[in-house]
Amino acid sequence: MTIGELVRGAHAEAVGLSADECLKCNVCNTVCPVARVTDLFPGPKYVGPQAQRFRLDSLRSPGSADPADVHDDGTSHPSTRSPDRSVDYCSGCGFCTPACPADVKIAEMNNRARAVMREGHRPRLRDWLLSQTDLLGRIGVPLAPIANLLLQNRLGRLFAHAALGIHHAAPLPRFASRSFRSRWRKRQREQGRLGHSEDGGTNGYRPPPSRAVVLFHGCAANYQEPWVAEAAIAVLERNGYEVIVPDQVCCGLPMISNGLYEQARNKARQNFGTLADLARLGYAIVGTSTSCTHTLKAEYREMLDLDDADARAVAEATWDICEFLLDLHEDGRLDTRFGRLDRDLPYHPPCQLRSHGIGIPALDLFALVPGLRAVDMDHDCCGVAGTYGLKREKYAIAMAVGKPLFERIRGSGAREAACDSETCRWHIAQATGLPIRHPVELLAAAYAAGDVEVPPGSQDARGVGGVGRLPTGS
Amino acid sequence: MPTADAVVVGAGLAGLTAAIRLADSGARVHVMARGHAATHWSAGTLDVCGLDGTATPRAGIDALARTSGHPYAVVGGHVAEALPWLCDRVAAGGLAYAGDLDSPIRHTPTAVGRTRAVAIAPDAQSAGLRTWAPGEGLVVCGPSGFKDFWPGLIAAGLARPGVWRGSPGPARVEALSVSFPGIADLRNLDGLRLARLFDDSAWRRDALERIARDLSSRRLGFRGRIALPAVLGLEDHAAALADARRILPLEPFEVPLPPPSVPGLRLYRALRAALLARGGRMQVGEPIARIDIAHGRITAVAAAAASREFRVKTGTVILATGGISGGGLVAESSGTLREAVLELPVEQPGSDSWLAVDPFEVGGHPLEAAGIRTDAELRPIGPDGETVGPREVRIAGSLLAGQRYLRERCGDGVAIGSGWLAAQAAVR
Repeated sequence: MTIGELVRGAHAEAVGLSADECLKCNVCNTVCPVARVTDLFPGPKYVGPQAQRFRLDSLRSPGSADPADVHDDGTSHPSTRSPDRSVDYCSGCGFCTPACPADVKIAEMNNRARAVMREGHRPRLRDWLLSQTDLLGRIGVPLAPIANLLLQNRLGRLFAHAALGIHHAAPLPRFASRSFRSRWRKRQREQGRLGHSEDGGTNGYRPPPSRAVVLFHGCAANYQEPWVAEAAIAVLERNGYEVIVPDQVCCGLPMISNGLYEQARNKARQNFGTLADLARLGYAIVGTSTSCTHTLKAEYREMLDLDDADARAVAEATWDICEFLLDLHEDGRLDTRFGRLDRDLPYHPPCQLRSHGIGIPALDLFALVPGLRAVDMDHDCCGVAGTYGLKREKYAIAMAVGKPLFERIRGSGAREAACDSETCRWHIAQATGLPIRHPVELLAAAYAAGDVEVPPGSQDARGVGGVGRLPTGS
Repeated sequence: MPTADAVVVGAGLAGLTAAIRLADSGARVHVMARGHAATHWSAGTLDVCGLDGTATPRAGIDALARTSGHPYAVVGGHVAEALPWLCDRVAAGGLAYAGDLDSPIRHTPTAVGRTRAVAIAPDAQSAGLRTWAPGEGLVVCGPSGFKDFWPGLIAAGLARPGVWRGSPGPARVEALSVSFPGIADLRNLDGLRLARLFDDSAWRRDALERIARDLSSRRLGFRGRIALPAVLGLEDHAAALADARRILPLEPFEVPLPPPSVPGLRLYRALRAALLARGGRMQVGEPIARIDIAHGRITAVAAAAASREFRVKTGTVILATGGISGGGLVAESSGTLREAVLELPVEQPGSDSWLAVDPFEVGGHPLEAAGIRTDAELRPIGPDGETVGPREVRIAGSLLAGQRYLRERCGDGVAIGSGWLAAQAAVR
């Protein structure tokens, strides 16, 4: 590699070159949940900045291989690949990057290395399948009775375990019988506001950005947990916001995690098509999934190198729902007439939330609810890390990583717990047997409890905001 | 935007001391740091002074305070009060320390077979500090296959003349490698992994009993102590140490290892727990982007975040960002040091000295002493002695000018004294 190529690489790829800042101090290895439990993963330092010297070609973006680096059979030149495959055991939790005293982008570097490692190979059917959350939802929801039967069927799961490599005990959530978008369209139709939901309101009435927010519901709230999106809407409407639900597709994170960068870029561009203009008009884009919102905020730019005006507009407009509500509260604009929710609530802030760098807003919101005794379980990672813990060869690692958390939650004697991220909720629910709720579900319930205590007058529930039950799991 | 009475920038010993002190006084305190640092690298001892010929930490503080421009001149008087206070806070988290400012400074073994000067140490290291009685021997014992602790190398080093710096050393030093259960096939064996194995009570009893068996088959023929790598548990350290004392026929003590340092991690965890128990907040991971200032007063601290900045409203900032290695000072290719957060004036040698002086020169390298000069209340001052920067900013830890902590081994004492004083000044 010439100096000129390095300089161009540095411009295009600050992540890879940040390895140069590594002091080899091992701090990242001390916070890695995977290295904590298995010898298969040597820790972020070794597969990251240490291995980076063998990966000169990761100074380019995955999915943009220089033809000269690629052999006829599609594999890249051996001298430019990771020295071994251990980086595949990185779960992508992202703890290493914030722990680093030298600002090395360790997690990002490792994710890119994994993607480059998989380039030129056809993706494993399992990895491809797990990353198609949108497609699976579109098929799974209309066929929910059959699909759910299959998902919970022991023989079916054993087959998927053996043939696909999806662990038979891993949590696969049930599909909702009706998607959130379909329920939302029905509600909008009933209220005569259909144009609103179809295209973000561009041809109909649209409230100004001061009184409306855009909801990025993500796949889980659309296909599996519509009640989470509806709880968010109830809470937002309660605080005087109208909610706009523009067309949107999967954020692309499961594809990024499984090395399918080009597919993820297509998803990002489709989302920019509907979200970027709304962002530029000043609408906040609010999401209930901390992983989707983190993808919108950071990963489009840091992982997919889509650092253009659209990406920046969307990133700056995107909020996690609890971050948004706490910001309202700090401005004195949050309706704090919460009713009592007398209960202990073990709470696990998920890895992706911590990557936001916004503190732990749910804890401050829980403190506003009378009677609610929320306790941070103070554990690093539940283990599942999106699709990681679903994989046959990684399920045991995921369970070992989360074990202290599961024990703490079970030991608390509480009857439910809370967590912001859907895959974490499913994993913890599976492991503890307890319902795990999104924080906004509890806030919606607290508003509802307050309305029972003091009839709310003009407030109407409009058929949303019912706090749903968690599926019983597989 | 959350509101805090004070924001402490930096999560090392100085920052956490300041934060716990603030939280103790009822203040809402928010620690923001761009990563972990010194605690994760340190030996876990609280080094106040390690200058040759110094009898006690107190004498060391007095000597250094008389050196021109040393931070002990400002903060040295506060260490006596701050140190036992901090040890109490840490002990509440299950991590006991032994020693105080009047304890003798003694030479204790290192993992490369030399000795270093220590007076205040975690309980697990304290037996390594006692004077060696006539006839008392030392066994250096580690697991075979562990590349960060070589008993043979250490024992050979400790038997060399002069290594105990004039004090009587052990009468004999023996090396013992023991095969620990189930680690032979591990590819990634570092101190942290061993410590986590020691957290498992069944595993550690097996390991300790193997040591005891091997010791008795050796028929050493002396009484004495046994030096072990500092891996006796992370979460369950107190119980692991108790097991070691109960099972081993010689009195055990830990020898700190290269990073990741388990004694340092224990200290960090105990400090963090003390802060969180007092309602303090901690956010590690993003560099400080900006400190908002209006009319000479601080209004907020902003850290970089995934998209927008994360801002905390506050009027008071304690800057404990560290020196060059901690990232508080940034070395520019132009040959100047820059203060990373507020662009405060840095007292520093000319760039001609950077490469002109041998970095291992016994007298010290001039860059070591670079940092921020302050007044008696730890407010930053410029070359003319006038305070600079916004009001209500205080400096603590190795960002302070005038210390040569590698040579003087004063870093922990300066961190504790200045963290304490900065918090006290901020509360006033």
